[in-house]
Amino acid sequence: MTGSAVTVGALAAVTAQLVLVVGGAPLLAGLMRQVRARLEGRVGAGVGQPWRDLRKQLGKEAIRPDGSSWVFTAAPRVLLASTLLIAAVAPFLSTVSPLDGVADLFAVVALLLLGTVALAVAGLDTGTAFGGMGASREITVAALAEPTILLAGFALSARVGSSNLAALVEGMLTAPGQVLSPASLLAAVAFAVVVVAETGRLPVDNPATHLELTMIHEAMVLEYAGRDLALVELASALRLTVLLGLGANLFLPWGVATTASPLPLLGAAMLFAVKVVAFGAALAAFEVFMAKWRLFRVPELLAGSFLFGLLAVSASFFLA
Amino acid sequence: MNLIAAGLGVVVAGAAAGAATGALAPARARPLATGLLTTTVGLGGVLAGAAALAGQAWSMTVPGILPLGAATLAVDPLSGAFLLLIGAVTVAAGVYSVGYTGPGGRHATDDDAAAGAAAAPGAEPAGQRAVDAGTGHVEAAASRTAQAVLPLFVATMLLVPAAASVSTLLVLWELMALTSLVLVLAEHRLRRSVRDAGLWYGAMTHAGAVAILLGLVVFAAAAGGESFAALRAGAADLSRGTRSLVFVLIFAGFGSKAGMVPLHVWLPRAHPEAPSHVSALMSAAMVNLGLYGLIRVGFDLLGGGPRWWGLLVLAVGGLSALYGVLQASVATDLKRLLGYSTTENVGLMLIGVGAAGVFAAEGNRALAGLLMAAAVLHAVNHAAFKTLLFLGAGSVLRATGLRDLDRLGGLAARMPITTALVAFGALAAAALPPGNGFVSEWLLLQGLIHSLTGTGPPTVVVAVSMPLAVGVVALTAGLGVATFVKAFGVGFLARPRSAPAAVAVESPPSMRAGMALAAAACLGLALAPVAAAAPLARVLQVMPTVRDGAPLADSGVRLQLVGIAGSMSPLLIAIGLLVGTAATAALARWAGRGLPRRVAPVWGCGGTRLDSRMEYTATSFAEPLTRVFDDVLRPEQDVVVTPYTESRYLIESVRFRHRVPDRLEARLYPPLLGAAARWGRWSRPVANGSVHRYLAYGFVGMLAVLVVVRLSG
Amino acid sequence: MDHSIGLRPPVSETVYVQTLNLICGALLLAAVLILWRRELAAIVRLLVVQGVLLAALAALLGAREGSSELYAVAAGVLALKAVVLPAVLRRVLRDTGEVRETEPLVNVAASLLAGALLTLLAYAVSRPLVALAPSPATQALPVALAVMFLGFFVLVTRRRALSQVVGFLLMDNGITATAFLATSGVPLIVELGVSLDLLLVVLVLQVLTARMRLTFGRTDLDELRELRD
Repeated sequence: MTGSAVTVGALAAVTAQLVLVVGGAPLLAGLMRQVRARLEGRVGAGVGQPWRDLRKQLGKEAIRPDGSSWVFTAAPRVLLASTLLIAAVAPFLSTVSPLDGVADLFAVVALLLLGTVALAVAGLDTGTAFGGMGASREITVAALAEPTILLAGFALSARVGSSNLAALVEGMLTAPGQVLSPASLLAAVAFAVVVVAETGRLPVDNPATHLELTMIHEAMVLEYAGRDLALVELASALRLTVLLGLGANLFLPWGVATTASPLPLLGAAMLFAVKVVAFGAALAAFEVFMAKWRLFRVPELLAGSFLFGLLAVSASFFLA
Repeated sequence: MNLIAAGLGVVVAGAAAGAATGALAPARARPLATGLLTTTVGLGGVLAGAAALAGQAWSMTVPGILPLGAATLAVDPLSGAFLLLIGAVTVAAGVYSVGYTGPGGRHATDDDAAAGAAAAPGAEPAGQRAVDAGTGHVEAAASRTAQAVLPLFVATMLLVPAAASVSTLLVLWELMALTSLVLVLAEHRLRRSVRDAGLWYGAMTHAGAVAILLGLVVFAAAAGGESFAALRAGAADLSRGTRSLVFVLIFAGFGSKAGMVPLHVWLPRAHPEAPSHVSALMSAAMVNLGLYGLIRVGFDLLGGGPRWWGLLVLAVGGLSALYGVLQASVATDLKRLLGYSTTENVGLMLIGVGAAGVFAAEGNRALAGLLMAAAVLHAVNHAAFKTLLFLGAGSVLRATGLRDLDRLGGLAARMPITTALVAFGALAAAALPPGNGFVSEWLLLQGLIHSLTGTGPPTVVVAVSMPLAVGVVALTAGLGVATFVKAFGVGFLARPRSAPAAVAVESPPSMRAGMALAAAACLGLALAPVAAAAPLARVLQVMPTVRDGAPLADSGVRLQLVGIAGSMSPLLIAIGLLVGTAATAALARWAGRGLPRRVAPVWGCGGTRLDSRMEYTATSFAEPLTRVFDDVLRPEQDVVVTPYTESRYLIESVRFRHRVPDRLEARLYPPLLGAAARWGRWSRPVANGSVHRYLAYGFVGMLAVLVVVRLSG
Repeated sequence: MDHSIGLRPPVSETVYVQTLNLICGALLLAAVLILWRRELAAIVRLLVVQGVLLAALAALLGAREGSSELYAVAAGVLALKAVVLPAVLRRVLRDTGEVRETEPLVNVAASLLAGALLTLLAYAVSRPLVALAPSPATQALPVALAVMFLGFFVLVTRRRALSQVVGFLLMDNGITATAFLATSGVPLIVELGVSLDLLLVVLVLQVLTARMRLTFGRTDLDELRELRD
């Protein structure tokens, strides 16, 4: 009886987590824009603007470029589905989840890459030079970011002896001193670079630009309109939230519930929101002081983060 | 009755019948008859392999058919895994060959390139092309020789893993090399490059065979017997030097067949130039025999070895994976790209085998078992998706006559089924969920990352090599994604970039069926890898330093590692993606209030319409990567600017040529070939054409051998 | 940064180990960042950080051993490496007007990868040393060795005279850290002698840089080849 109660509670936790992440992701995007606007001396459109945009776009006609195929229409759906799957399996609120055995850290990384690939293929499918250019750049950055993210994952899982997300979070919770260990700090730096590269933030990509020389992500999705565009926008906000959430819970896991009972879950949800908002605001503030880098300096950044990843792995047995 | 014997009987009988049919049947009936008989041979292999993996064993000695003694065959689970793999590839390729060698296709020729470059898209009407294809081209892959040799080739391939003595193995190995060489040369009248590829393949495969021969002969001489049972028994008494010599020789020999760097040079030449079903057989099935040989001799007959063997294999594997994927990511020839991708995947398998060797030498059986299982499973997965991709490339080639990605495109609308099947294969090859490549790469990564969490602190070698191996695997995975996004996105999507691509039509049903079989294998392996747990455990039983129960637990839908905390569920991930996609699509439709999707011309940057020359090509897609890895790839570029005679400021034409040569080949092989040529020139007086002199050499040689034997005896 | 100074000996074991690891991690991080950054001013700032970290390391060991001599060494290191030497470098920077290391012999991405390999090498070669007397301090020896290797690498691959000085100082920082970690602090007199040597070398290099600039107008060390003929 208690077993089934736990399962029901865990399922409720997963549902709550999905609702929180999906509902909050556009708000996070709005908040980051607002932070930037205020720091740059503008009034800003308000935190709720992304949701208003989504509603507007959903009501508009979708357009498919002449000569494109089913890939173009399927891509936003696959992208959103892969991100939702990550949002469902990640231990954002509780480490007790019926979905924990479904995808570990490496599977989550592969799912993220699946979303990137879906959009890149769709960009190529449009047949425009913009689409191809964006796809080519995005894939180059994603390919070079892959070693960093896997090494950071290696460093984290080497300590716990498992790459399951719940095990990673629990390992950190039971040994709070690890938060300040060199391995965690270096892995956190590497992970932060990957977040910046994967979500197309400054200095790798400028999410607000429409200038062909500098675009990466925006160039790929240029041909989307209406509900397709809404899905793409929602998915990119979700990806940012999910990555920040993973970063928050893997490196600062405090507040994550270790049971599935309602009260700890509520606290976990609030703390999670606070952490992600803080990280998002910090990222937005950091962007204000950054200029976009030349595309061919990005490999330098990723080589640096690869080195941090490797140092993180080494530090986990150097200074054991 | 023993199912393995029955299966191998079907293989031999089918091959004989197929060869006879191929040689004797009339041209019209030949494709169907040999295709079906080849499929039968494959089914025999599948039967024998499945029976061996289910735990059956079988052996047979046929006295007196080989010059040196009896032919010995034996099948254990390790042989069974490779029998099953090769048999399955053969089934798909056999079905596919019915349509591929049948009438009505276009195959790449030297003059195609010139013709295609001149024509604008849409200039050539479809009817014209069909007439042209029906009458103009020689159906080289359907020639009597090629059709008769195909069943023989697959049969020798299937018998190699069943060989249980040195002489049997070597004879079958040579037969396999010869038959495959004949098949590589099938289209030699159509393209000059085929002859070149055949020469490279012949030379490299013989060099490899010589290394294997030397290694096994040294081994057999030292162990005092040439049957595998005698080798196994005698291996323990060998001196360390002899063991290592044997290992290095057979590693080089089997490695050249597997296409590992730097012995890979034949692979990106021969695999593209062979007819596509043969490419699939070579790239998906034959290269794996290199891996089989390495595991059989290194881990079974020699019974494992010191740590540096593992490190050597690991290092070569890492180099192969990285170099293969880098070349694949900048390749523009679809089949060449697939060939380099084979080198990459063999590299990944070698990383698994090498790391397994390191841990086996350190006595960590749990990790060694997991990594070896990952390597074998990756061989199976690679066979499945590489078959699918090569067959898909063959369909494209047959429909358009093109292999050049820069001139393909727009096939999604014209060849919808081929496109969908290739999309799934590309997903698997890019090691993304829910493809099957992801499962084995995940296992490989799990094996590598748990290297530091064993009992006690890790040894220096492990602590230094494993993070680097993870980095290599990760970079390979990333670049592999770029490679297959390029291959699929540029080759099949957007608008056609040339006239032949614009008039492509879907391939005949038998070819689609062949591809669908391979895709079904991919899907099965992707969703239910858990079913492989028990057979893999039996495969590991063959290796004395690795065996340690099952590396994977059969826990329903989840893939659970044994002795290591790790689990993942490919089936639930696939279901989650499917449900998520469907729910998202339904939600978007509901929120969009059912508004129809409008097809509109794309924005042309102010121009009125985009033509296909403005599209991104494979070359431009890979340009950032070419630039990032400039120091490794060293691309060659030349620009020739021709001004008008009146003024040098007015430019008449600009010619730009960009090429990424295989740098390892360019650096390593010319000195070697030059030395060989010099040696040949130097020894020319020895062979002056006089028959008497040649006979005298033989006579003197025989006398010398007799004298030496007498003196030493 | 050096919050451990105020602690009374014996410092509690976990706090000591964690602080030690943190300082060593930060030392390595600073060395890597020196390899990464091109702006010479930023590099000098990173050297200051390393100087402070080294002083903190000495102070931590002092707190652990309860030795006042190590506190004096810490103060000396702080004064020399975080104040005097950076000041000299800044002066050179101001005089030559060179802002960045424009063209290292090995590009930045490749040198970062080389840095990764050097770190692993440092780990591999220091294993026997660590095995002699395993303790939290000797466990961190690879880090010091890696800093030394990275310094040598900078010395080999950078063109500007100032970058060479930076490489030299990085190497010296590595050596100092090795000395601290391996022997739990060096006698004051030895440290004093080394420091004086270091100061002298830097001053000589400063003079050399100034002379080179007068002669060639730049401080690219490859120009020195011309002196051969």
